[in-house]
Amino acid sequence: MKAMPKLAPAAPELVHLTITEASRLIAARRLSPVELVEAFLARIAATEDRLHAYITVLGDEALAAARQAEADIAAGRYKGPLHGIPFAVKDNYHVVGVRTTGASRLMLDYVADETATAIERLTAAGAILLGKLNTWEYGTGTGEIHDDLPFPLARNPWNTDRFTGGSSTGAGVAVAAGSAMFALGSDTGGSVRLPAAAAGVQGMKATYGVVSRAGILPNCWSLDVAGPLTWTCEDNALVLRTIAGHDPRDPGSADRLVPDYLQGIGAGIAGMVIGVIRDLGPDAPSMQPDTRANLEAMEAVLEDLGARLVEISLPAPLSGYRQIVGAINWGESYSIHERDFLERADLMGKALRDKMTAGFTMRAVDYIAAQRRRRELAQSTDAVLSACDAVLAPCTFLTAPTFDDQETLTKFTFGAATSIFNATGHPALSICNGFDADGMPTSAQIVGRWFDEATVYRVARAYEAATPWRAERPVL
Amino acid sequence: MTDTTPWTIDEIAAYAARYGLTRLEPAHLERMREIADKVALASAAIPRMPRKSDEPAPVFRVPLT
Repeated sequence: MKAMPKLAPAAPELVHLTITEASRLIAARRLSPVELVEAFLARIAATEDRLHAYITVLGDEALAAARQAEADIAAGRYKGPLHGIPFAVKDNYHVVGVRTTGASRLMLDYVADETATAIERLTAAGAILLGKLNTWEYGTGTGEIHDDLPFPLARNPWNTDRFTGGSSTGAGVAVAAGSAMFALGSDTGGSVRLPAAAAGVQGMKATYGVVSRAGILPNCWSLDVAGPLTWTCEDNALVLRTIAGHDPRDPGSADRLVPDYLQGIGAGIAGMVIGVIRDLGPDAPSMQPDTRANLEAMEAVLEDLGARLVEISLPAPLSGYRQIVGAINWGESYSIHERDFLERADLMGKALRDKMTAGFTMRAVDYIAAQRRRRELAQSTDAVLSACDAVLAPCTFLTAPTFDDQETLTKFTFGAATSIFNATGHPALSICNGFDADGMPTSAQIVGRWFDEATVYRVARAYEAATPWRAERPVL
Repeated sequence: MTDTTPWTIDEIAAYAARYGLTRLEPAHLERMREIADKVALASAAIPRMPRKSDEPAPVFRVPLT
């Protein structure tokens, strides 16, 4: 279902614009949404045989929407900074009339009868959906690669022999490669931030409840957070501002006003107190030297920008958070997929089947113990984080490994420091903070107080503006 | 408090059958035995909350929509 109109080769100068740059040109009528969408469809056509970022490309629909956007803008009906901007979504977001697969053999023929609230909000703002992106089955995996799903593995645009991170595999790839101007993923234990880290883009897991999950295949109700992946932090804030806000269709949705994350984003960080988490306990993975060096250099940049850095300690080691997230995920995910596991487990990939098997053998009392412990950990962690304006934490402990190294693949995913903030619900942004000796992106997390995404973006924007990493794009 | 004695293959087969999995391949049954042991160990490692009033996260909210 990769419907592709015939197009001229991609124009790299267009597909590598940021949203902010493109929207200025569109608003000034110096760039046509049709020209922009054609450039992205040409980029997809030119790169998909190597990257496999997409499961479904909606070429004709995107071009029709672009023509409508062009006509509306010409008639003076400009909707704002996302009008005419092309994006893509992980293939666990529903779009009415379009197939949702979840990258699963269980859903290859499923055509959605609803549209995710986040997509409705984006298209109402004028954004144009290019297609549905590759993922691990139902967002499930420990990082081990079994290559047993119905679609080819997505490949890292910085080096196609390297891992993409998951589970929103295609989302990080598409944004880095310039085959989507931004993407939406979903994050249960790191599934937005890990692919962002692997691909050198910025990925936000907002506070639990900020973004509606209505119309998205659930993985684990009490941990799932939908979120954007973008090239810059400013773009990320713009997308989150559009998709955030209360939605009665999602029982976990927070009923709060959404602040303008862009207001004050460029105000700098002089005088801010930034907590630094350096030690995640004795069972945290050892950190690759280049990743450590770039994290230390990031601390120095933040200090140079006027922030006061203070080392902080979390109330539990990384493993203490990970065990909670794992147990909750086993229980809730099994509850979602029980019938399929009992009747059609043979259609599941190994990663999903293993998780279902874990859920099948788990006791209810252990799930409830995990939720009780989670609440206590969230409160004690918040007491530490809320003493700071924001916090700098590791993201992955190494750069994206090659596909054939199962032990390191698991370390990249399962050993990452991302699940801490799924357990606690705090907002956490994965941000590119340099490259290793092989040219692969390194990453860190900037973490905020509950519902204070604005400060996270402010810190990230200051760091991004002071460093050269956004000038580097993968060569394809 | 928690018995983390490893499951035997016969125990796991009986458990699977009791809860509806009656046609498992031997390889999946063996994998289930391995995973069940890991789950039991991981679950036993979750700290139990000291007070009975320590509730889980409030996932049930009213009014219901």
